[in-house]
Amino acid sequence: MQTEEVIKDAGEIPVASSAKSSESIHEDTTAKLFIISSITYFFIVGIVALIIAAKFVMPSFLGTVEYLTYGRMRPLHVNGMLFGWLLAADMGLMYYIVPRLCGVKLWSEKLGMATAALWNFIILGAVVSLVMGWNQGWEYAELPTFLDVCVVIAWIMFGANIFMTVANRKYNAMYVSLWYAMGTILWTAFVYLTGNFATLFTTGVNQANLNWMYVHNAVGLIFTPVGLAIAYYYIPKASNNPLYSHKLSMIGFWSLAFVYVWTGAHHMIHGPISQWLQTISIVFSVMLLIPVWAAVYNFITTMKGQWHQLRENIALKFLMSGVVFYLLTCFQGPMHSLRAVNAIVSKTDWIPGHAHMAVLGAFSFFAIAGCYHTVPLIFKTKLYSDALANWSFWLFLIGGLGFFVTLWLGGFWQGWQWNNPSIPFIDTVVALKPVWAVRLGSGFLMFGGIVAFAYNILATIIGTTGEQTATATA
Amino acid sequence: MLQKADYNAVFFVAAALIMFFIGGLLTTVAPPLLDQSWSKPFENADASKGPTGKLVQLNEQELKGRKIYVREGCWYCHTQQVRTILADTKRYGWRGVDAPVSTPDEFVYDSPHLFGTKRTGPDLARVGGKYNEQWHRAHFRNPADLVPGSIMPPFPWIADNEQEFKALTAYIQTLGRAKNWRPDNDYEK
Ligand code: HEC
Repeated sequence: MQTEEVIKDAGEIPVASSAKSSESIHEDTTAKLFIISSITYFFIVGIVALIIAAKFVMPSFLGTVEYLTYGRMRPLHVNGMLFGWLLAADMGLMYYIVPRLCGVKLWSEKLGMATAALWNFIILGAVVSLVMGWNQGWEYAELPTFLDVCVVIAWIMFGANIFMTVANRKYNAMYVSLWYAMGTILWTAFVYLTGNFATLFTTGVNQANLNWMYVHNAVGLIFTPVGLAIAYYYIPKASNNPLYSHKLSMIGFWSLAFVYVWTGAHHMIHGPISQWLQTISIVFSVMLLIPVWAAVYNFITTMKGQWHQLRENIALKFLMSGVVFYLLTCFQGPMHSLRAVNAIVSKTDWIPGHAHMAVLGAFSFFAIAGCYHTVPLIFKTKLYSDALANWSFWLFLIGGLGFFVTLWLGGFWQGWQWNNPSIPFIDTVVALKPVWAVRLGSGFLMFGGIVAFAYNILATIIGTTGEQTATATA
Repeated sequence: MLQKADYNAVFFVAAALIMFFIGGLLTTVAPPLLDQSWSKPFENADASKGPTGKLVQLNEQELKGRKIYVREGCWYCHTQQVRTILADTKRYGWRGVDAPVSTPDEFVYDSPHLFGTKRTGPDLARVGGKYNEQWHRAHFRNPADLVPGSIMPPFPWIADNEQEFKALTAYIQTLGRAKNWRPDNDYEK
């Protein structure tokens, strides 16, 4: 048994958690497997992303092969990025963070490794299904029921491991990241069942309502809480400053738990769904500002006196830009739900701009930061190249901003044109062509970021002797 | 009150689930019970109450076409909903007649629902009868030939497969037709 470190406030746990004395208890095999496979998918699906962006510029590009048509590549991109890259990376980081916050080793590495194997099977199955066109027709829930069942099993395996680790914990107090990790597992279970199984027994608007509940909460109650778990762990850790306020993190967590699930119907504002349900979703969408601002204020104040570290510390660069994107994307969301704004931006290219800022700008940035910080630690080495990491940051940032901003401007303009029925639809398509060209260019920059990131991690792991510059993170 | 959740994992789990289920149940289980129009198929014989018509189930061929529409991901680019926005009713109208707003009772038999989220192409909720079969064949073969500047992808494997082409076109011609909304009844076949 390790001697217990003295912890007065739960906010100090992340800073104290990987004290040298207790590091040796962790094996981290599961974390490694998940992180490595997620980054592999990030790279592969990045190519798919470029293909679909290219199709907007040149619709006949790879257009005569049915397996490569836009309508099959798009779900491959979305599912691949969400489940192959982001969720797998998030899970890998949870397998790393949770044991440390609990001060004990992961409950079962064997179970974890089996989970990683099953997860990879699911992703490969997804690639085959989507390319073949075995699409169920629901956004984010395209995969055939057989694979959905596998996801449920994998999730139970993941949940059991995390909850058992928490049950065995050495520290009595549970740090915020643990709440978010556990919340993610619980909520995801029900959200996923709703979106992938309850929909099977319903039709029409009723089914759409369940589908949007799932789609919205796939972001709101899966990627948001697990992303926040990462941010709450790595921001104090990377800056070496305890969390600013435990109370504020409680407000953020419990308001998120209550508010998020009400907002699904805001995907059908002005659509064929009961007006009162639209209004409820709008009211709760605006209330989402509470959990967001509570978390963001906490992150920013935790950095107090540490901002100079942004210059050197690659994890903090990604984390803090992620925080800014999180703030922005979660300001846009509530605003889109207002009827007047919705009438312009809904269904336009603005929306992919918004969605990418959430899952790429905020949550992928958090996950990338987590990987940069963690991979050298679990492989007991140093990051291969700080300079390359810095390149990856700027490529992601500039590519990302180019993508977001042009799609907002273009989408807003598009919505404005649509609201003038005397403009033929095709003119509004032609008008957006320059926007899609810039999007493709930004895509190449972001893909450059992926390549730099993936190569850096790969080289770190296989221990290539490169620049071997020291990191500030250890 | 929730302070206890910091230390007690069981209490935490219970609290997190209760918080979630309040909104979860009220927004998913309750609405279809409260709003009957979600489950009652559209039917109207009284012209003074708006367009007349009756929602019927798709036949075998049309269902097959719908499956193709799902398989090819047409729904990633096309919505199927005329919203309560004036410009929608005008834009998707016909020769000066506004398209009727889509209502829940027109979609009662739909599974998967195909309302969509993105309009890379125009809304298709009222496209049934807008173009004839020949137009669709040329369009699927290469949209840009027919509509210069179009970024709709070509679907030669559908245009060249007689059965699939007929099925998909048959499905498209049903869209929006539960409501007889064009006064001259001048729908293309
Ligand atoms: C990449 C996006 C995209 C995909 C995928 C797509 N379309 Fe289109 N579609 C468009 C665009 C853009 C237009 C407008 C220009 C034109 O008419 O070609 C359009 C127009 C149409 C029209 C004419 C609508 C009107 O009112 O003039 C129909 C019908 C149509 N598409 C059916 C389909 C079907 C069926 C599929 C699937 C097999 C499909 N589309 C897939 C983008 C797409």
